[in-house]
Amino acid sequence: MSKFFYPKLAADNLRKNSQTYTPYILTCILTIAMFYMIVSLAGNPGVGQVIYGNVVQEILMLGSWVTGIFAVIFLFYTNSFLLKRRKKEFGLYAVLGMEKKHLAKMILWETVYIAGISLSVGILTGILLDKLMFVLLLRLFDAAIPLGFHISGTAIGQACVLFLCIDLLIVLNSFRQVYFTNPAELLKGGQVGEKEPKTRWLMAIMGVLSLSAGYVIALYTQNPLLAVSMFFVAVILVIIGTYCLFIAGSVALLKLLRKNKKYYYKTQHFISVSGMLYRMKQNAVGLANICILSTMVLVMISSTLSLYLGLEDSLQKRFPREILVSAYGGTEEGAADTTDVRDLVSDVTSAYGLHPENAFFQRTLCCTTIRQGDSFRTEGVDEMHQDTAILIFIPLEDYNAMAPEPEQLEQGEILLYAPSQPFSSSTLQVFGDRWTVRRHLESFITHAVSEAYLADTYFIVVPDFAALEQLELKNQEAYENYASEIRYTYGFDLDTDPDTQEKICDDLLEIRKTSMPTLHLDTRTWAEANERSLFGGLFFLGVFLGGLFLLATILLIYYKQISEGYDDRQRFEIMQKVGLGKGEIRKSIHAQVLTVFFLPLITAGIHMAFAFPFIARMLALFDMTNILLFGICTLGSFLVFAGLYAAVYLITARSYYKIVS
Amino acid sequence: MAVLEVSNLKKVYTTRLGGKPVQALSNVSFSVEAGEYVAIMGESGSGKTTLLNILAALDRPTSGEVLLNGKSLSSIRDQELSSFRRENLGFVFQDFNLLDTFSVRDNIFLPMVLSGKRYQEMENRLHPLVEYLGISELLDQYPYELSGGQKQRTAVARALITEPQILLADEPTGALDSHAADDLLHLFGQINQGGQTVLMVTHSTKAASSAKRVLFIKDGEVFHQLYRGGRTPEELYQEIADTLTVIATGGVRHE
Repeated sequence: MSKFFYPKLAADNLRKNSQTYTPYILTCILTIAMFYMIVSLAGNPGVGQVIYGNVVQEILMLGSWVTGIFAVIFLFYTNSFLLKRRKKEFGLYAVLGMEKKHLAKMILWETVYIAGISLSVGILTGILLDKLMFVLLLRLFDAAIPLGFHISGTAIGQACVLFLCIDLLIVLNSFRQVYFTNPAELLKGGQVGEKEPKTRWLMAIMGVLSLSAGYVIALYTQNPLLAVSMFFVAVILVIIGTYCLFIAGSVALLKLLRKNKKYYYKTQHFISVSGMLYRMKQNAVGLANICILSTMVLVMISSTLSLYLGLEDSLQKRFPREILVSAYGGTEEGAADTTDVRDLVSDVTSAYGLHPENAFFQRTLCCTTIRQGDSFRTEGVDEMHQDTAILIFIPLEDYNAMAPEPEQLEQGEILLYAPSQPFSSSTLQVFGDRWTVRRHLESFITHAVSEAYLADTYFIVVPDFAALEQLELKNQEAYENYASEIRYTYGFDLDTDPDTQEKICDDLLEIRKTSMPTLHLDTRTWAEANERSLFGGLFFLGVFLGGLFLLATILLIYYKQISEGYDDRQRFEIMQKVGLGKGEIRKSIHAQVLTVFFLPLITAGIHMAFAFPFIARMLALFDMTNILLFGICTLGSFLVFAGLYAAVYLITARSYYKIVS
Repeated sequence: MAVLEVSNLKKVYTTRLGGKPVQALSNVSFSVEAGEYVAIMGESGSGKTTLLNILAALDRPTSGEVLLNGKSLSSIRDQELSSFRRENLGFVFQDFNLLDTFSVRDNIFLPMVLSGKRYQEMENRLHPLVEYLGISELLDQYPYELSGGQKQRTAVARALITEPQILLADEPTGALDSHAADDLLHLFGQINQGGQTVLMVTHSTKAASSAKRVLFIKDGEVFHQLYRGGRTPEELYQEIADTLTVIATGGVRHE
């Protein structure tokens, strides 16, 4: 026998099975290219040079892990699917006299070809697209784009190691399949009469329960900080619910439909209900996977995109002025009530011949409480609670300095602004005192308080600074060592160039070291650079992983269409013989395929709808409170995704019809 | 009155790449009277399957005509063909052609559901039929749980539930063991006794000997026919066997 026999045979096999292997190899190539790109970008010095570039690189590094793990699972899963389809072919070889070791040799050669093609083409594609990705990424950060071409040796090495390991796993799995089945079994392949799926009521009910629990958490967790910790609980509940409902719920529902004789024994329902019953048995897990992947992509893209686009807005809120200097009062040396922060700042700026412009000064006291009706209690606040409320007190004097219309207050009266939760009572009780609400405000002057919106927030304007100091004392009694002190915040703009501003900031930070340890300094420029890198990086990662997941979805859908096409061909042949017209067949195929493939997308849409208020609350933590923008981003990303999904469906549906008719 | 009239049927297959045309049927004419039980015999390649496909309106002849109750099959439009087939013809196939995704009951209901019949009407027709065929115990089972004989009975029930003009059977005993085959042929005899017209295509002498009339096809033509007359199946069996020998050894044609 020629020594080229196995290589040749393997090449022939790949050619013969090109209908299934071409998409698989393409997927391998793209997965490798994407893995190369993300590893290369994570190590690209050009990215590191961006301000806060290390944040971006950390995000990308995380992304490369996700991509790697995903590649292992996904390629392994796809390959075992291909292997299943070829069982009959292997059986035939065995019957013709090939021993198992020969089969193994043949499979080994096939894998070598696939690995060779996909690694070389994949890395090459990766290197070419890498530059494009790099440019896109830097555009997100508004950074200058350096010239030159970056080829990452590390990325090539890592891609080779990872994918050779995956291929090794695949080969071992194929050997296992071949060695542990006998030729007769191989020949039979998938032809064993398939049992009707059982109804697993327990699982179906569990699915309904955990999905509703997840939804309820999403809808009723008002508190943003609580939302962060409950988010993962809700996500896991929804994932469990989705799997249970796809696996057991669908079968249970279809069987109920079948029990309804009047409904079931109609031409359309008769064929589709029975067909779906078997389809759901084989595809439930795959469809649930698609659904979960789609939802994740959508959540990630919509939230990071709205954070990125809403950045200006949220910065404007948090930074009503370019530079914010704040310090706490109290008993420590250099506390802000003994040394005025305003004086410190003007000392520094006058050294540069500059004056703070548009300056504002505000004194605030911030306490964490638990709301009970119209009163706020201070006991038991150390645990996160649904009714945790943040109270921000500000004296009337400071309020009027900025408010469009000055207000007046008698002693014992307050102005109240409650943006998170409605508060309709005309009195408010806190620290044992009852205050009369003189007016409920529609909007408020400042958000430059970093604690705002961590939980339900209430802005309270008290008559004068003395009242604020009274509150500080009572706060101290209630919380002792944990009590917060009055904060003095000074915000201002400087009419100067960025370099000078940087120098002034450095000098202010020097003061913090020497005389005022509680001094805190933040500038809009810093925050913007930081957040642009963070959200831009996350958005990029979202789109990148979204692309990867979409690729996986495409391949899953394609293979599902093909394998179902072969399964259904026989069924429709029989029906045609018994007297089902071609037109009716096409109609019923259409209804069935459409339902099965759009079920995950629709479910993902429902998940998104329930997640929407929940995520909106968490985005508030990043001061992204523009619900409309988030809504548009969510809807937009859903529509784009649905469009791509539909396009994939149309392309793959054609191969299905070709097989069936 | 003739239920089925076949005249001068001809079928030529031409391959797409311009190869030599193959003549499957050259000139077939015969007729089947109401209540008859006819078997069509022939070796592989004699054209029996082509003939059956044309009778079943699954294929169209090159020339010639098929009349069912005086109505020409070629005059039916494509869109109406399936419903015509469903309402006038019943089929029994060699490999049963039952759907694994349906229970026995639903398999039998299939043509009725496709015709949009009411559930109550289907139920009313089902019970006497399955009672008669001896499968009333199996209604809720699935085809993969049945034996070959049970499967074929289910297929017969599916063919008969629409009360067709004619029952077409394509090698119905081909996939059955001899015991089940005998049972099925006995059943066909009974069904025919009840007035059902049956047309069976087979190459099994045993199967053909249960019919009232046997047509022999060779090289796309009706070569010979035998009537049972007063003979027992065993006598007819002998006669068929002799005829087959003559055909195989190239004997001269005699009417």
